[in-house]
Amino acid sequence: MSEVKRKYVIPGELVAEGSYRNVSNIFRVEQRYYSTRIGLAEVLEDSVRVIPLSGPYFPRVDDLVIGKITDFSAFAWEVDISACLPAFLPAQSVFGREYSPARDSLTNKFAVGDLIVARIAAFDRTRDPLLTVSDHGLGLVSSGEVVKISPIKVPRVIGKKGTMIKTIESGTNCRLTVGQNGLIVIDGSAEGILKAASALKLIEEEAHIADLNQKVQELISKTTGVERNE
Amino acid sequence: MASKKSPVVTRIKRAQLTSLLSKGKRLGDRGLLDYRPISVEIGVIEKASGSAIVKIGNTKVIAGVKVQLDKPFEDTPDKGLLIVTAEVLPIASPYAEPGPPDEDAVELARVVDRGIRESGMIDVSKLCLIPGKKVLAVFVDISVLNVDGNLFDATSYAAVTALSLSTMPKYQVEEGDTVKDTGEKVPLPITNLPISVTMALLENNLVVDPSLDEESIMNARITFSSSDNNTLCAAQKGRPGGFSVDQIKLAASTALSKGEEIRQILRRCVENGTK
Amino acid sequence: MSSLINSEGKRRDGRGIDELRPIKMQVGVIQNANGSAYIEFGKNKILAGVYGPKEVHPKHMSLSDTAVLRCRYHMTPFSTDTRKNPAPSRREIEISKVIREALEPALILTDYPRTAIDVYVEVLQSDGGSRCAGVTAASLALADAGINMLDLVSGCAAGKIDGIPVVDLDDPEDKEGDGDMPVAMLPNLGKVTLLQIDGKFSSEEFEKAFSYAREGCMKVYAMQRKALMDHYFGAEEST
Repeated sequence: MSEVKRKYVIPGELVAEGSYRNVSNIFRVEQRYYSTRIGLAEVLEDSVRVIPLSGPYFPRVDDLVIGKITDFSAFAWEVDISACLPAFLPAQSVFGREYSPARDSLTNKFAVGDLIVARIAAFDRTRDPLLTVSDHGLGLVSSGEVVKISPIKVPRVIGKKGTMIKTIESGTNCRLTVGQNGLIVIDGSAEGILKAASALKLIEEEAHIADLNQKVQELISKTTGVERNE
Repeated sequence: MASKKSPVVTRIKRAQLTSLLSKGKRLGDRGLLDYRPISVEIGVIEKASGSAIVKIGNTKVIAGVKVQLDKPFEDTPDKGLLIVTAEVLPIASPYAEPGPPDEDAVELARVVDRGIRESGMIDVSKLCLIPGKKVLAVFVDISVLNVDGNLFDATSYAAVTALSLSTMPKYQVEEGDTVKDTGEKVPLPITNLPISVTMALLENNLVVDPSLDEESIMNARITFSSSDNNTLCAAQKGRPGGFSVDQIKLAASTALSKGEEIRQILRRCVENGTK
Repeated sequence: MSSLINSEGKRRDGRGIDELRPIKMQVGVIQNANGSAYIEFGKNKILAGVYGPKEVHPKHMSLSDTAVLRCRYHMTPFSTDTRKNPAPSRREIEISKVIREALEPALILTDYPRTAIDVYVEVLQSDGGSRCAGVTAASLALADAGINMLDLVSGCAAGKIDGIPVVDLDDPEDKEGDGDMPVAMLPNLGKVTLLQIDGKFSSEEFEKAFSYAREGCMKVYAMQRKALMDHYFGAEEST
């Protein structure tokens, strides 16, 4: 029985043999567990999983996402959340039950090209993702710059208990709104935004190395005007 | 909901572009008259008579030239054939679908063709072997591999570079209206290097080499092709917007001066190998 | 007509009967695509790109419980000795189907209901065995896109020249030889997902050629694995 603590794998590679209860990005043939993705395989006491290094964003209920309004009908806005399917924000959830297309204009509230911070209200195999902007902190993004990273890397941007995102925010004096879908809004001074954006790029490129927090701190503390993204 | 043909630019980004323009700048720290980095790789396809891959920023295009024996057209019995095609491959963009070319793709192909043909780049009278019976046909086929704005210029540069490097077999005319391949290879009869320069009208500013985002918000677009001796040989205005007369004149003179700069870059690539 | 194999068992390009042509692979080469790869297999130069999972247009073509896999194999006009018309030929349409059916068993399409996954194989230069090289590149592109897969798909053709089974025919060998057998398999699961025969093979010749092709597929798989490891984890990590 070969057990590997951590190793890099590609789809179809054997990760572990035995009996495990929790699996992620794994498929099982009898007692053998294979990876379905390119990533880092981890075998723990009760679980086998592969942390993927690439892949599309898979919406989950309650995820915070940044979306772009791309279209609207009488009853909902269509929102691009960089997922496999477009998401929808029902007009009713914004205007209330008394919503009437004749009286309430969708485009006055959110127009095509607007960016919004929203939460996934519902999503399952039978329908497109539904959004809500009904909580505190959700709604129109009126300032800042948007950066896109691979959604797989988002946990690294946030860090354990939010440590990484705090490092970036304090080091650059910016506010970051991180969408689980890989879109991140950076709000602050032009310099700060530039530094934060290069920090995010660094995290995306080196997400799988160990002392990332330190590297990011070094990058941010470099004097401004020297570091330039191409 | 209809499928989109190009990305929706966010209002925030639009505001950013506008504010930069007011300072004479564009995204990526470019000036109004700056092209993105241009790179050229030649001779990639050995089976072709000539080939080139051109990148302008992240737009990537490949052109291949094939020279074959053919029959001349009835109304031009002593001239060879020049056929130029351009295709945006579905691999190049999430908005490109497989299938017959749409109006944008057809326009692209025809504009590139005009730029090359009207400049007289290939002397088709030198492609005639037996008048009325046998001529050489030069095919230039261009495929867009990655879309990131300014397909007109990228496809044109790839085509003219590939043509400049192409060779054709030297044929000997024999009895009975036949031709024999002597086995020797000679360059195509090239007379000049036409260069296209595409400009966009962004908030009343004329900018060269529009990126994908700039193309999504531009009011109008204009492409001028010029040949070696400061002669304009083709032009195409596109998109539903209007240029003032002065803007057109400015665009034409920009195309000539910028065209000469790019001509030098491409010439150097052809002479040295790659850039 | 000169022979394809000389008296020392060497082919025109100097290869032995069980030798593959030089192969190069690269992952992540088309910026806009969700996943992409480039392969050189002898003189074959082939690009593969994947878009998806994404919304299906037109909507009525979507399937409620699984993704729709679409595949297009296409040759550029300058890819062959004689210039090819850009419009899709019947050969390309058939190969598109064959490649799709070779890839589908490797993908867990039911994880992506109501979406489409589009695979594009562009042959920039063709020299025999392009469908096998194409399916190999497509499989890399699918893995690069992060689509759930049971295994990669590895392709390699075998054939018969001068009456002798050999692996990996180039274009002249395919044209002048006695038979061609493209094969692709899921290397870890050991399943054959692409098999065609074009020519005459006795029972023994078939066994031999089939065995060469399978060995070839496993060699191709090792290179695919290395290409993915190099791209994602850096060259030091790949064994």
